[in-house]
Amino acid sequence: MKRSRSINLLRMRKVSGVFALKPLALCVALVFTGCGSNEQEADIFKNLEECKTTYPDLTAQCEMAFNEALKKAEDTAPRYKTVDDCIVDFGPDRCTSHRSSDGTSWFMPAMAGFMLARMLDDNRRYSTAPMFTSSINSSPYYNRWTTVDGNSYGDYRNRQVRTNSDAFRPQPRVTKTIERGGFGSKAAAASGWGSSTKSTSRSSWGG
Amino acid sequence: MRRLSIAARPHWKAKAREFGFNFHTMHGEPYWREDAYYSFTLAQIENDIEAATVELHQMCLEAVAQVVKSEALLKRFCIPPTYWDLIAESWRKHDPSLYSRLDLAYTGSGPAKLLENNADTPTSLYETGFWQWLWLEDQLQAGLLPAGTDQFNLLQEKLVERFQQLKYRFPNSILHLSCCQDSAEDRGTVQYLADCATAAGIANEFVYIEDIGINERGKFTDLTDAPINWLFKLYPWEFMLREPFADHIAASDTQWLEPPWKALVSNKAILPLLWSLYPNHPNLLPTYFEDDTSAQFSGKYVKKPIFAREGANVSIWQNNQPILTSSGPYGDEGFILQGYTPLPEFNGRHTLVGSWLIDGEACGLSIREDSSPITQNLSAYLPHVIEP
Repeated sequence: MKRSRSINLLRMRKVSGVFALKPLALCVALVFTGCGSNEQEADIFKNLEECKTTYPDLTAQCEMAFNEALKKAEDTAPRYKTVDDCIVDFGPDRCTSHRSSDGTSWFMPAMAGFMLARMLDDNRRYSTAPMFTSSINSSPYYNRWTTVDGNSYGDYRNRQVRTNSDAFRPQPRVTKTIERGGFGSKAAAASGWGSSTKSTSRSSWGG
Repeated sequence: MRRLSIAARPHWKAKAREFGFNFHTMHGEPYWREDAYYSFTLAQIENDIEAATVELHQMCLEAVAQVVKSEALLKRFCIPPTYWDLIAESWRKHDPSLYSRLDLAYTGSGPAKLLENNADTPTSLYETGFWQWLWLEDQLQAGLLPAGTDQFNLLQEKLVERFQQLKYRFPNSILHLSCCQDSAEDRGTVQYLADCATAAGIANEFVYIEDIGINERGKFTDLTDAPINWLFKLYPWEFMLREPFADHIAASDTQWLEPPWKALVSNKAILPLLWSLYPNHPNLLPTYFEDDTSAQFSGKYVKKPIFAREGANVSIWQNNQPILTSSGPYGDEGFILQGYTPLPEFNGRHTLVGSWLIDGEACGLSIREDSSPITQNLSAYLPHVIEP
């Protein structure tokens, strides 16, 4: 046979209503994984040294976790157009300036520490997340630990915290679209040709 | 290779609605026709089409390997110098490809001749992979086709398999799929690809080409500002590289389907290069750049723009005179000259064979018929079978 053996026609139907299937529940394995109650112990370290001192036999993990957190901070920390906007949230001593290769510049809080959660069954496996704090007393993060999603982890002096795995989920990179419509102009120009014969829908840009 | 009449399925238009095939009639003309079909022998499919398709594809890959290391050829292919690295890098990294369609002149006997390679943005995918497959199943069930009638059409199966492979190459990535606004045909093609990606377990989103944005980090974005990491674009590279966002492509770190190196395969400049790499190959027509003084044709030849779509700006020449010309907006980048080979005529219409590849594997056939020897966007699509 030189054709597809079978095609799931239910899936190919486009008329809604008759065969529309609800998406399956996301948390099917509830009993086994305990979806929703994934609390675990974690440490927050202000710097790499603190981690190494606390876990002298895990210095390599400390270093990797620290570097991963730094990278996550760079990608996901809030960004501000002006230094003043950043200071209002995090304080003058916490805001750093950045510039991308194309010349855009912005301000963002520096990572103030990192949270490390080790797996109970395997010391070498860990999760890590960057932590921030504010030195401005009008800020909700004043002297408190916070993650990039804005969750508070209590007093800045705390080191042992309880968290759930959500804290370590990949966070959306901070993005703001600065321009649209940079693709499609060639098609728009070419479609002017012969448009009088194509009243309803213009032609394919494929071929 | 025969053209045979058959009764259309009584309720096929209702069925088309049910399955979302809403471009079966375009520009006021029937695009999908099922009052007839083409019939091939298994030997014709396997020896003349399938084998030639795989070989031609491999020859095109060899041609790409030549182009990326030659500035002279990159110029010939009209790639803006700023993007030579983008394309060469994409080739060096083996950026994976999804699909291609070779347009072949094939009469039922003798070697199929490559007319061009739609390797970047081929359409008529849904009609081929799904809709003509369904037509065959229905007509077998209705007893209008003898049991054992088959079709060269593994397209959907292989497409899902290919997406499954790509899923492991880009784990956890969301695939964005994109086409231009106002084309029901393109939107339908992209929806079909989204369905196949979904079947392969790939999360996907849709964004129109015109709606794509760029963020302050140089990533392309969709309308929700979400970054686009992996993008299928039913939009030609030769357009993209000449548009305002072109400068952001390299730094955006986007994974592209088709990848940038496909800009060389879909380029008509590959046809003279193939002829110079594989002179007198049975599946090639003699082809030269317009300014090549060694160009020699025994009879008619065809002049085609380096970049053009859907048979626009093509002319057929004899004794240094154009005898047939199609209009269009293309041709600024120059032309190639290709030896003329007639398309077979059935019922007064000219028949073109489209031969599909998923990555490097030949896996299906589509048939277009046009009243003109130059197949254009009004040509009709007809299903085909392999006779039992």
